[in-house]
Amino acid sequence: MGPLIVNDIISPDTNLLMAFIIGIGFGWVLESSGFSSSKKLAGLFYGYDTVVLKVFFTAGLTAMIGLLFMSLFGWIDLDLVYINPTYLTSAVVGGLIMGLGFIMGGFCPGTSMCAAAIGKIDAMVFIGGLFLGVLIFTEGYPLIEKMYMANFKGYPRLSEVFNISDGLMALLFIVMALAAFWLAERFEKKTPAPEY
Amino acid sequence: MRTRIIISIVFLSLGLIIAAIPNNKTLNFKMSAEEMIEEFNGRYQFISPDEIADMIISEDPNLQLIDLRSESEYKEFHLPGAVNIPFTDLLDDEYRYLVDQNLKINVFYSNGSVTSNEAWMVTRQLGYRNNYVLEGGLNYWAETIMNPDRPEQTSPNEEIARYNFRKGAGAALGGGSIEPANEMPEPVLPAIKKRPQKKRAQGGC
Amino acid sequence: MTKKDKSKKYINPYLGGVLLGLVLIAANFISGRGLGASGAVKSSVVTVVDAVAPSHVESSDFYSSYKETHPTPMKSWLVFEVLGMIVGGFISGTIAGRLKLKVEHNPRITSRRRLLFALGGGILFGLGSQIGRGCTSGSALSGMAIFSVGGIVTMMAIFATAFAFARLFRKNWV
Repeated sequence: MGPLIVNDIISPDTNLLMAFIIGIGFGWVLESSGFSSSKKLAGLFYGYDTVVLKVFFTAGLTAMIGLLFMSLFGWIDLDLVYINPTYLTSAVVGGLIMGLGFIMGGFCPGTSMCAAAIGKIDAMVFIGGLFLGVLIFTEGYPLIEKMYMANFKGYPRLSEVFNISDGLMALLFIVMALAAFWLAERFEKKTPAPEY
Repeated sequence: MRTRIIISIVFLSLGLIIAAIPNNKTLNFKMSAEEMIEEFNGRYQFISPDEIADMIISEDPNLQLIDLRSESEYKEFHLPGAVNIPFTDLLDDEYRYLVDQNLKINVFYSNGSVTSNEAWMVTRQLGYRNNYVLEGGLNYWAETIMNPDRPEQTSPNEEIARYNFRKGAGAALGGGSIEPANEMPEPVLPAIKKRPQKKRAQGGC
Repeated sequence: MTKKDKSKKYINPYLGGVLLGLVLIAANFISGRGLGASGAVKSSVVTVVDAVAPSHVESSDFYSSYKETHPTPMKSWLVFEVLGMIVGGFISGTIAGRLKLKVEHNPRITSRRRLLFALGGGILFGLGSQIGRGCTSGSALSGMAIFSVGGIVTMMAIFATAFAFARLFRKNWV
């Protein structure tokens, strides 16, 4: 049955409308979880507020388990779902730069959109920065093309790399995330949040 | 704190269930009967000997011929570049990488086209995408490419062009007798009919 | 006590996570793809550059090949999704009474410093998301849900780097 767009159940235009609706849900959840505050986001890295970790990994686990069950029931063909390509070099380099940007700016692109929507000026400036950063990439592309394309590994999934079933892989993720939640709550209790 | 414990219990139990179920056991057959009938009606799986001959001669890197006959038959004669997967071993794990892939055009052939069509049906129902069948099999190949019927002098141009192509192809592939080329326009071969394929959705950030 | 009251207004993080997971499932089920954000910025940048300097777009390999694969950059899934995000964030903020034009910053730093760092962080995040083929939503979150190796590698790199550099910027936050 799913994905609906690939199986021609909905038209491309409906797909765009659905994108808008999905976006509303996305923005709503992020904002109401507190992702519109850079103070809460940055809190993870100092241990005073670990909401990012909790929301992020709970969402990842929910989607992971949900998709596996839907595939099991035949509701969605996971072979037709987009899988991010793996270019090892650029995945690491990009991640490093984004991590530095995260701790400096206190937002990531998605959360900055939500924060700007409720009037955070720092988020609007962050979005301005995003535009400049992307412009630097598109203008400087010839310089980094080699690195950008290096170490292409296809579209591997972690369960295939470890040669275990998807379900077992999910269970491993669940155990790791639950341990992380437990640690996070312990840290949070010890570290007082700054008052502002 | 309390929510964490609830969520831990829910996730762990769901995780144990999903981990206990082997991969996609219930989804062995990816195509419904209606979809298969649609595929049959389209006859998308067939590729004519002319198209194959052209691909072999132009050394098309996308072509992967798969000989479904027994090993002894394969050793006696096979098309250039073909690999041997006896029909009975079609679904063996060692050939999985060949049969289920998204890069090359696999063309099954056997003596006639019954066995290769069966192979195509099985793999198609398993959801494999890139398998095709050599129309008419090796018998028809021998008739058309290796020993083409000389058309009447009064035949339409295309027919004579096709004959010349087959004659040339047969010669290039090591068979038939070589004749001086006629001054005929180069035959234009039809492109392979692409069956409407379901592609992964596009995405990316 | 005031702090407690403030945080009460946000929903429980685990509930938020489950809801976000459901949104991600919906994206996969309906559109066969994960969520994203930075891709919409890229579409806008290409559109703006194309409007401002069309000859530059013609001469650059990157822009012209991007335009070839995306003939109408603004009519893309991610652009619509991000527009929805802004609407969704606005609705949620309105309901919870968090709508307020302000620079949120630690009183120990000036708002000017906060804005400068936000700009710098934005530039780095914009650049990094293009190099890493996706940001925290598109690559890390969506990638993790489908076990994409690239997404998981990017996710680990993002969080590890942020933790590693946290001490350098401690003054800004704590």
